[in-house]
Amino acid sequence: MSKKPLASWRFMPVVALATTAIWAALPTVANAADAAAGKKLFDDKTCSACHSIGGGDLVGPDLKDVTKKRPAEWLHEWISKPDAMIAKKDPVAVELLGKYNGMEMPNLGLSTAEVDNIIAFLETGGGGGSSAAAAPALKGDAEKGKDLFTGNDRFANGGPPCMACHSTGGLGAFGGGALAPDLTTVAKRLGGASGLSSWLAGLPTPTMKAVWTKQPPTPQERADVAAFLAQEGLAVRSASAIWQLAGLTGLGAVILLLIAGFRWRNRLKFGVRRPMMATPTTGRSTGPYHGGWFTGMYSDGWIGRFKGTDGNSNRPRGRTNAPRRH
Amino acid sequence: MYDVFLFAVLPYLAIVVAVIGGVHRYRTNRFSYSTLSSQLLENRRLFWGSVPWHYGIVVVLLAHMIGFLVPGMWSSLTSTPTALYTVELIGFAFGFAALIGLCVLIVRRFTTERILAVTSPMDGILLVALLVQVALGFWVSLAYRWGADWYIDTAVPWLISLVSLNPQTHYVSALPLPVKAHMLTGFLVISLFPFSRLVHLIMFPFWYLWRPYQIQIRNTVRSAH
Repeated sequence: MSKKPLASWRFMPVVALATTAIWAALPTVANAADAAAGKKLFDDKTCSACHSIGGGDLVGPDLKDVTKKRPAEWLHEWISKPDAMIAKKDPVAVELLGKYNGMEMPNLGLSTAEVDNIIAFLETGGGGGSSAAAAPALKGDAEKGKDLFTGNDRFANGGPPCMACHSTGGLGAFGGGALAPDLTTVAKRLGGASGLSSWLAGLPTPTMKAVWTKQPPTPQERADVAAFLAQEGLAVRSASAIWQLAGLTGLGAVILLLIAGFRWRNRLKFGVRRPMMATPTTGRSTGPYHGGWFTGMYSDGWIGRFKGTDGNSNRPRGRTNAPRRH
Repeated sequence: MYDVFLFAVLPYLAIVVAVIGGVHRYRTNRFSYSTLSSQLLENRRLFWGSVPWHYGIVVVLLAHMIGFLVPGMWSSLTSTPTALYTVELIGFAFGFAALIGLCVLIVRRFTTERILAVTSPMDGILLVALLVQVALGFWVSLAYRWGADWYIDTAVPWLISLVSLNPQTHYVSALPLPVKAHMLTGFLVISLFPFSRLVHLIMFPFWYLWRPYQIQIRNTVRSAH
C-alpha cells in the first residue's frame, strides 16, 4: 500500500461516501429526461427552422403528436443518427425523404441524454411553443445578400463568402465555386427565402457545420443571402466555367514558358557550360560537344564570352571579385 | 474511423519520419544532402523541365504556406470575385507550368541513357509521388474551385489543429475524395523527404542571391599561354 499522505486511510470513508453518492446520483441524472432542457435544445439547434409543433408541415413534418405516431426507439434513433438510418434505407426514413422533396434531416450530433430531453419536450406537445418560431421572419435584402454571397461584403463574424464553394445563376465571369452544390434552384426546393434562411440556421451539412459553427452568420445575414438566392432572375443555372478556365490556364503556362525561354535564350551559346562539357583537351572531334564548333578558347587563355585582350573588355561584366587579367 | 487514422495519425507519422529520418541522414551521411544534379549529363531538356517545375511549384507551395501562416491576410486577398479569379488564374498557370515541367523531367529521366545510368529506384518513386500529388492538386483546384477561398476555412483549421496537437478531423472528413487524397499524398511526399533527393529543399543556397559571380576556368587546357 502506498505511503503517500493523500492515500492515507484517514480519507477512505470520505472517498467511499463520495463515490457511493456519485454512483447513486448518476442514473438519476441520466434518466431524468428533462422537457425544459429539451425545449432549450429545440430552440438552440433551430429545429423550428424546419419543424413546427402543431403549425403544419414546413421543410420537414409537423411534430405534433409525433411521439404517438412513431415508436420511441425509432424516434430516438432517428433524432440521433438520421444520416445512418437513411444510409441503411430504413423504410420510414425513405418514405419521409420522398415526401419532403429529398430533404435529409441533418445529424445534429446530439448525445443520448439530449435526445431523451428533446423527446420529453415533444411529448409535452410543444408546451408554450417554440420561441424561435414566434419571432417574426426577418426581411432579407437581395442586393446585400449578393454582396455577402460574392464576398464584396464580409460576414460580421468572419467566415468565407458563399461563392468560395457554391455557384448560382447571376454571378459574373467564372461563376462561383464547385466544391459544393450549385444553389440556383435551392430556394425552390427549400420553401422560398424563409425556409432557406431557417435551413441555413441549422448548418445542416458536415462541411457547413465545420466551417460555420465558430463563426455563424447573423439572422439578418442569413435572411439577406436567402433573399438573394430566392430571386426570380436566378432561375438560370450558370454555365460551366471549367473549359474557359482550362484554356486560360494553358495560355498562362505557355506565357510563363515563353518568358523563361526568352530570359535564358543565350544559356547554351556563351559561358562555361559547353566548353566544360566539350573537354577541349582531348582533341577528339566527334560532334558539336567535342570541340567541333566551339572550344571556347581565346588567344589569351580566356574561355567563353570575355573575348579580347585589351582594357576592360576581358573582365566579366557586373559585380565580380575576379582579378583583371592581361 | 478511417478518418481518425488518415487525418489525425498519418500526418504525425509522416512528420516524425521526415524529421527523424532527416536528422539521422544529416548526422550519418551529410554530403548526401544534395539535388544530385544531372545538369552536366544532359542540359537541353533539363531546362524545359527544371525551370517550369521549380518556378511553378515554388509559387504554388508559397500560396499554400501563406494561406496556412496568415489565413486572415489570404482571405482578404481573395475577398472580391475579381481578386479571387485573378489569384486563382495565377495559381492555375503556375500549377500547370509545374505539371508540364514535371512531365518533361520524368520523360527526360527515363529516356536519356546518361540520366538513366544515375537513376535510383527512389528517384522513380519520388517522381511518381510528385506527379500524383501535383496532378491531384491541379484537378482539385480546377474541378472543386475555388480552393484559394475554401482552403482557409477547411484545410487550414485542420492543419492548425494538427500543429496545436489537438487534431480535429471534422473540418476535412466530409470533403470530396480527390481533395482528401491530395492532403494525404502531401503527407506521403513529406515522409519521402529523408529518403530521396527531396532533402535539397532545406539545403537551398540562399546566399547565391547575393554572392558575387563565379568564373569557372578549366585549367587543363593545354594551349593556355
